[in-house]
Amino acid sequence: MNVILRWLSDLVARIVRTLDWPLCLALLALMVISLMVQYSANGSLRPVLAQGARFAVGIAAMWALSRLPAMRLRSWTPAIFALSLLPLIAVLFIGTGKHGHHWIDLKVFYFQPSELLKLSLPMMLAWYLHREPLPPRFHVVVIAGLMIALPTVLILLQPDFGTGMLVAVSGVFVLFLAGLSWWWISAAAAGVAAVAPLAWFWWLKPYQKDRVLTFLNPESDPLGTGWNIIQSKIAVGSGGWVGKGWGQGSQSRLDYLPEHTTDFIFAVLSEEFGWVGVAVVLALYLFVIGRCLWIAAQARDTYSRVLAGALGLAMFVYVIVNGGMVSGLLPVVGVPMPLLSYGGTSAVSLLAGLGVVMAVRAHKPMHVR
Amino acid sequence: MMMRPQKRRLKNLVAEADQFRRRALLGFAAVLLTLGGLAAWYFKLQVVDHAEYATRAEANRIKPRPIVPGRGLIYDRKGRILADNVPAFRLDVVPDKAGDIKRLLAELGKIVALTPDDIAAFEADRKAHRSFRPVTLRLRVSDEEAARFAVDRWRFPGVELVPYLNRRYPYGDMFSQIIGYVGRIDEKDLLTMGETNAVLTHIGKTGVERYYEEALRGKIGFERVETNVEGRAMRQLGVQPATPGADLRLSVDLDLQQAMVAAFGDLDGSAVAIDPRSGEILAMVSLPGYDPNLFVNGISHADYKALIDNPSRPLFNRNVLGGGPPGSTVKPLIALAGLDSGLRTPEFKVFSTGEFHIPGQRGRGWRDAHGGSGWTDLRKSIAASVNFYYYKLAYEMGIERFDRYMQKYGFGAPTGIDLVGERAGAVPSPQDKAKHSKEPWYPGETVNAGIGQGSWVATTLQLVRGTAAIADGGQLRRPHLVAARRDGYQSPWTPLPQPEPVRITENPANLRAVQEGMMGTMLPGGTGAAMGRGAPYAMAGKTGTAQKISRKGNVSFNPHLLPYHLRHQALFVGYAPADHPTIAVAVSVEHGGYGGTTAGPIARKIFDAWLLGKMPEPDPDAIPVAPPVAPAVAGAGVTPAVALQADPAR
Repeated sequence: MNVILRWLSDLVARIVRTLDWPLCLALLALMVISLMVQYSANGSLRPVLAQGARFAVGIAAMWALSRLPAMRLRSWTPAIFALSLLPLIAVLFIGTGKHGHHWIDLKVFYFQPSELLKLSLPMMLAWYLHREPLPPRFHVVVIAGLMIALPTVLILLQPDFGTGMLVAVSGVFVLFLAGLSWWWISAAAAGVAAVAPLAWFWWLKPYQKDRVLTFLNPESDPLGTGWNIIQSKIAVGSGGWVGKGWGQGSQSRLDYLPEHTTDFIFAVLSEEFGWVGVAVVLALYLFVIGRCLWIAAQARDTYSRVLAGALGLAMFVYVIVNGGMVSGLLPVVGVPMPLLSYGGTSAVSLLAGLGVVMAVRAHKPMHVR
Repeated sequence: MMMRPQKRRLKNLVAEADQFRRRALLGFAAVLLTLGGLAAWYFKLQVVDHAEYATRAEANRIKPRPIVPGRGLIYDRKGRILADNVPAFRLDVVPDKAGDIKRLLAELGKIVALTPDDIAAFEADRKAHRSFRPVTLRLRVSDEEAARFAVDRWRFPGVELVPYLNRRYPYGDMFSQIIGYVGRIDEKDLLTMGETNAVLTHIGKTGVERYYEEALRGKIGFERVETNVEGRAMRQLGVQPATPGADLRLSVDLDLQQAMVAAFGDLDGSAVAIDPRSGEILAMVSLPGYDPNLFVNGISHADYKALIDNPSRPLFNRNVLGGGPPGSTVKPLIALAGLDSGLRTPEFKVFSTGEFHIPGQRGRGWRDAHGGSGWTDLRKSIAASVNFYYYKLAYEMGIERFDRYMQKYGFGAPTGIDLVGERAGAVPSPQDKAKHSKEPWYPGETVNAGIGQGSWVATTLQLVRGTAAIADGGQLRRPHLVAARRDGYQSPWTPLPQPEPVRITENPANLRAVQEGMMGTMLPGGTGAAMGRGAPYAMAGKTGTAQKISRKGNVSFNPHLLPYHLRHQALFVGYAPADHPTIAVAVSVEHGGYGGTTAGPIARKIFDAWLLGKMPEPDPDAIPVAPPVAPAVAGAGVTPAVALQADPAR
């Protein structure tokens, strides 16, 4: 009996050995909060179970990736990157979506190829920079820039401005963590400022321009495009210190809040759990990001370091963009709140990314090649 | 990747790790700062500005919804329903939620019949309303259409089938000139009644419906409901009930009204019957009439054009809005003025030569159609309608004094009937003439005024009122249609207050003489002798003829020989029974020739109907009148038709 028990606990210990417990606990807390808010926002159990199932898939992916030594992942990286570009090209021809070609219909579920790049692009850059002495020199930065530009342009062609920017930013974070010189950073900032007006005239679709304009003045069209921003702010503001209570948010229950299970789920949380709920969730995100950076700092090789750090920082971008959008601080961009928003692709890809981070912690090479 | 840097620099692993730690720390600091900023921003929204957003969330959640009161019912004097409310359905569209309106109308048109009129009215309404307010597309949706719509409802977001109460006039055109009708509220109405009243959808446009609009309308109530974003009520939080509109009881009698319409036969004209003791209008017709039900849900262009183009002007209430020279029917009142002014005594005799000359004037005088009547006293002057007597009297009285008396008898001013837009009429006056003519007042005009011709404008309502004053001992009363109101079905009927009557003479003997003259009219030798024959009650009256064209000099003509449209208006005023009158009438028949031969018999039929209960034979060609049906739905203001306990003064 004792033997069996010991054998079992040994087995479990071996299975979960690669997981990072602090990170896991924080993620678990976020998932529980997500399911609670989802239940309130949907008013029924079915979507909650569906979301739970997606979390299970994501956790499985996270566990699987955490078992994969970073060394091996690194050696596979160019192939992974190349493979992830194929569906991105394919989606331009066979994709479907509301405003463009975003998804490939796999009959079982809709697959969003751009999600893959959120993982494969930082990997590719980390792989490249790992080979180069750091801080990166001029031509290295140029090549890295091209690596970022290729998938970004493909995603912008769909067109999907939000995801394109997120993918690009996750690449830029790799460069930043690799020690990109401040000269580059300020030059890039200036470049973005210069390109923004051009993008306004050439690239942005009317619906995107609408979003920006109503963000600047939502009251100009309170029943049209400004509706989302106004109602979301009302939901957030009416939450108060501790909120109206679980399932008591009138803005979401009475459907005043648009997209309240996906992009605006954070407003539901704000309404029902108040500022305290917001602070707790933001603290959890901060902890997850901080833990990623900590693990990255402990890593022994450049590839692991910059990859883990960049994945953590990418999550920060989601939080700030979604949190800002819901509260009227940033224009409405279709960016989900990590783990909270309803939907499978982003949760699975996020958990997979954290699996890579955990792998970095679990498999430290004795010496670096 | 294939590129190998020419000058391969060695990787400094320790330095790279340090570099990374610095950057990671920097990144973490930035994250901490930004998330802190975000938390601060949420703090501002949720804690600092909480009150504002909480208020807006409540305003979102809780909406006041109007409760539409049932419109008051209208009964006749015996409690028979003349206007009621029938439950019906209408289609309302919220343009904001309906999407493409053109496509919606095309699709909806396949399920529910939409006429071009409906669509035009809807488009006009839509422009006047804000786009999140429902706009009515179609009233009175049939059961079949409602069922079809219910099946396909999911295809039409923003379109709703709304129950409402539809006004119905069971007697159709019989009461059109009295009750009038309600119509859809338009932009102009909203300006006067306020936007909240838009939910009432209908407003009284003419007749009693308009005059008593505020009473009939009631007061809109409100319920506070929790609504979702589509405006659908989820639950009620509080209610302030609507006050149903007051019911009105007319003094008009359905049977007498029917008898009056029948008495006219195919003739056009108007008549009013009032109770001289109270001023209550017992019946009032202006023929031809119209079907007020046509107007309730918006009259079609074709129907409206037919009414407007009809030369007999069905929409025009002749009793109140019309008027013209009263002709000889005003003679009894002029006679009274002669007596009260002291110019005449009842016995004073004037020798009628058949032609009156203004003293000092030569040439053509004013001729009497009947020729000379010889010695004429006041009674004969009325009974035989001797013009000479009145030419002379008016001339001697002078126009100023004449006008004062006529104004005292109620001419030249509205009677105050409870209908909107009553015509004041006019007595011939030099002041009025001076306003639109440079010519002076000629003495001859005074002479003409003495027989009710010239620039006289009197309505039948003014005539019947003056006649009733003679009948009722000189009391000039306000004629009125509504006798009583009740606020709510359980409440008792309360009579509407009426102004005190005005005495038109202080001398009963003078009045008696005039009354005797009018009784003489109906006796052999009087102008109305034919109509008075065989009546079991005594009556008093005066015939008259109002000229449509002025007489040229001394040429007199037989009105029956004139072309139809130029024929005179036949008039009759009178009351009965002569000794203690309970009914006074004024009858005006258009193109009727002499008053005694066309207007008189109509008045006789009215008297017979009221005093003897002699109702006309039912007209086999008439459209059968549906008896009022008690509405099946119990709701505010929808009260079943019941006989009233107290039979009003009769």
